[in-house]
Amino acid sequence: MTRGLIGKTIREVWLATLLFALAMAGLEALLAYILPKFNEALSGRWLQLDFIQGMFKGLLGTEVGSTIDPGVIASIAWVHPIVLALVWAQGIAFCTRMPAGEVDHGTIDVLFGLPISRTRVYALESVVWLVSGLVLVATGLLGNLIGGWLSDPQAPLAPGQLIIVVINLYCLYVAVGSVAYLVSSLSDRRGRAVGIVLGIVLASFLLNSLAQFWGPAKSIAFLSLQNYYRPLLVLRETAWPVKDMLVLITVGAVLWLAGAMIFARRDICTV
Amino acid sequence: MSVIVTEQLTKRYGRRVGIEDLTLSVPEGTLFGFLGPNGSGKTTTIRVLVGLLRPSEGGARVFGLDCWRASHRVKTDVGYLPGDLRLYPWLTCSVALQIFGRVRGRDLTRTGGELAAEFGLEPDVNVRRMSRGMRQKLGLILALAHRPKLLILDEPTASLDPLMQDKLYQHLRDLASAGHTVFFSSHTLSEVEQLCDRVAILREGKLVADETLEALRARARRVVTMRWLEAAKLDEITVPAFLDVYERRDRQWYASLAGPVMELVRWSADQPIEDLSIGQPDLTRLFQQYYELEPGM
Repeated sequence: MTRGLIGKTIREVWLATLLFALAMAGLEALLAYILPKFNEALSGRWLQLDFIQGMFKGLLGTEVGSTIDPGVIASIAWVHPIVLALVWAQGIAFCTRMPAGEVDHGTIDVLFGLPISRTRVYALESVVWLVSGLVLVATGLLGNLIGGWLSDPQAPLAPGQLIIVVINLYCLYVAVGSVAYLVSSLSDRRGRAVGIVLGIVLASFLLNSLAQFWGPAKSIAFLSLQNYYRPLLVLRETAWPVKDMLVLITVGAVLWLAGAMIFARRDICTV
Repeated sequence: MSVIVTEQLTKRYGRRVGIEDLTLSVPEGTLFGFLGPNGSGKTTTIRVLVGLLRPSEGGARVFGLDCWRASHRVKTDVGYLPGDLRLYPWLTCSVALQIFGRVRGRDLTRTGGELAAEFGLEPDVNVRRMSRGMRQKLGLILALAHRPKLLILDEPTASLDPLMQDKLYQHLRDLASAGHTVFFSSHTLSEVEQLCDRVAILREGKLVADETLEALRARARRVVTMRWLEAAKLDEITVPAFLDVYERRDRQWYASLAGPVMELVRWSADQPIEDLSIGQPDLTRLFQQYYELEPGM
């Protein structure tokens, strides 16, 4: 039974997962290759501008300082809006497929004509979602290492800290996906579910950015998922952001579970 | 033994009532027709039976198991064809049999392949490239391939050509004679008439009839067609109580016979009738009455 269901899910998502992973690897390679070349220019002139300082602060979630160290350069590659957009898009696209997408397309009737429980389908879908997220961040890390090596072949490869950043990013992926699962469980229309989750994620991103230079936003910044993903602090302090990761995983687990409970109890109307 | 039992089953969608107080029993090995006009609650009942909808009140049991709580166990021996069948666009018949077989824990490729050959469905064409009729065939194959003890079909002949409909009817008859139960909804009387042993009729969410086809036929009235002589004074004719005239077209009258044939023959002998024909019991009119009457009447 498990093989059949996982096989069906993989058939549906392998191509999208592959494309997202390739895009992620390519983008990380590009950023890791290009960004070090801007180091001097950024430190010299641009960083004197308040606007640029503010932009970095908003993006990285912390003060950059007067000079740009290798940690800042490395972390930009992991908070770049396109990188985040890829992670969100993968999570949202995957987690709104079932139940919202299946209900929307009407295929859920055929699926649940089979002797399978809703919780089992939800759980097995989630397993594939978690694995596809791992593929996404792992190929991103690989791309980053390759880009860094191409940029400076003499520099030693030091993936240790980057792995911590990538795991933190994976926790963010889990949290965003769980929001999507919850909304998807409540929805009959995939488009609506995608719109709602995208709205939540963008609001979360905006809140975190605003909180860096606007007092009122700072007081509620803890509500933003982005607040718990700060690669620069990880790279500078070389420590595991255990608290941040725990918050993201806990939020993810609670929302995922809520989605599972709602899906198990709801009516399925496709007509 | 009853395969399907519903007790005072009610399903509401907010304020709107889908089905109300539906008490039904489907005996094992029957071909059970579930009739009703569009929006009468047929699909709602079926969706409750397969665990897609949760009853608002009352309950439904299949093989003695609760359709909501033990939905996945119920479906081990159920084949289900939804009314508005939607399949994954990438699915082909052979891939579907492979996946469904894995989920059901049995090899469906042989039985499914035989059905595909019988129904004339190519095994490697994906749904994206199939016509509506082809998709319906695939849906039927997936519902039938594991030889379920109970087959639940929601308007299965929609988009099937007459030849294919006959094949399906034959298949359903074979299944029923082998002890399997077939529960199928339709709004086409002729389909139910030529296939079913027992019929339940729904109207506005309520059950208005649940009888064997024989019992229904016995209650159905014969259609009487009378053609009066030109000289007949139609205004002066007194229609007896056992005749219910429902259409008058000039000198041709159509009526349903509510009494014995002999009474009609005796009465007509004294009438200025040019021609008289007494037809077979007409189920169509009986069903129309069920459809039109207020529930409970």
